[in-house]
Amino acid sequence: MAGQTDMELIKNGVRLDGRKPDEIREVKIVAGVLDNADGSCYLEWGNNKIYAGVFGPMECHPRHKQKADRAIVQARYTMAPFSVNDRKRPGLDRRSSEISYIVSQAFEKVVMVEEFPKASIRVDMQVVEAHAGTRCAAMTAASVALADAGIPMRDMIPACASGKVNDVVVVDLNKEEDNYGQADLPLAIIPSTGEVVLLQLDGHLTPDEFEEAMDLATSGCMDLYDKMRAALENRYGGKK
Amino acid sequence: MSEESSSESTRKLVLPGDLMETKSKPGRGIFRKDGRVHASVVGHSIDKSGYINVNGIKGRYSPKTGDKVIAICAETGPSVWRMDIGASFNSTLHHSESGWKVPFGDTARFLSIGDAVWAEIFMVDAAGSHQISLKKDDCRKLYSGTIVKIDPTNVSRVIGKQGSMITTIREKTQTRIQIGQNGYIWIDGKGDNISLAQKAVEMINEEATSKGLTKKIEKLLEK
Repeated sequence: MAGQTDMELIKNGVRLDGRKPDEIREVKIVAGVLDNADGSCYLEWGNNKIYAGVFGPMECHPRHKQKADRAIVQARYTMAPFSVNDRKRPGLDRRSSEISYIVSQAFEKVVMVEEFPKASIRVDMQVVEAHAGTRCAAMTAASVALADAGIPMRDMIPACASGKVNDVVVVDLNKEEDNYGQADLPLAIIPSTGEVVLLQLDGHLTPDEFEEAMDLATSGCMDLYDKMRAALENRYGGKK
Repeated sequence: MSEESSSESTRKLVLPGDLMETKSKPGRGIFRKDGRVHASVVGHSIDKSGYINVNGIKGRYSPKTGDKVIAICAETGPSVWRMDIGASFNSTLHHSESGWKVPFGDTARFLSIGDAVWAEIFMVDAAGSHQISLKKDDCRKLYSGTIVKIDPTNVSRVIGKQGSMITTIREKTQTRIQIGQNGYIWIDGKGDNISLAQKAVEMINEEATSKGLTKKIEKLLEK
């Protein structure tokens, strides 16, 4: 988030990759791609490529993390060493442990954790290629994987970012906009109620811009929600 | 449970959070919110005789008292075995429920890790832990044969209408087959026959939602 930049990220209302400010990148979602997971999803969002796998509900380890009255969601977000330009050191770092934590918190709001006392639901998200907006993409993939695993939940949660580049509020930042833009605002909502389960803000927005960014991100989430539904209908609908 | 039995009711694919337009009482796979009912899992909704249920397509086996299951020994303790039945938690088989006279600490002599049994679930508590018993009806240790694992939601398809599917497979392949409600299936017989029956069961699992499955299976077994 460099803030000021000479780079022209938006020209005559068209962004570097040819999108309008309120347009999200192309999204492809496939449910049920991993044989050994209880539920899984592969998601391509622009140049982001992500696999999500869900395991469980199963006995919670370590035992001291068990809750006697409900399950816990143990999300794990990792980036492959080859997912970014400079090789990333594998394993959990400060950033990925933060994302894992907030994603776990968000999913505990929608998954019916009270149905599985003492259990753990593991959600693994692996970023294979990163091009800005991977936390949103990973959450979206994980939602589809959770539904695919047959885990009872109140709704699926789509996540989409918005932000500000060259003083224009835009939805779904790409790599250049993320690096040289002025603000980045990832948002995840529960579509049926409009509740916010994840909201972060990096950079500066005026109150008016914030409202606009929230509206754009929300409509981005709703676009995404339709695609998530289509992916699951594609896997399970069709024949019957 | 099976596809045929619900032909007269409305049946459609629902996703988690979907609002159900119905006046029926909520049953399985459903949650209530603000006086209205929503689906909680991916599955087929069936609105029949005053109740609305969503039969989940996927998901782990949830144990019910009285279910007959196939369990595989995962761990041995001094007086209990911990048995894998494909549920969220391993099941406990206490030595007093085994029917054998087990000296303390000598459990592995009767059942060691990897051994399978045909057992009944006799207790499930509120916390989700469960116990199985070998003292009921035909419960026993399984010696030869092989075990195939399928989705527990597809068990009714493997059995078929009044057992038609499983009878076909048994007769055509000359094998002994026992189907656990947990989706573990034990097949015993001659080598080639086992693999043929296994192929049939796996095909049913993969194509559980397609129509004319009985004919496809008959064709597979004719070869």
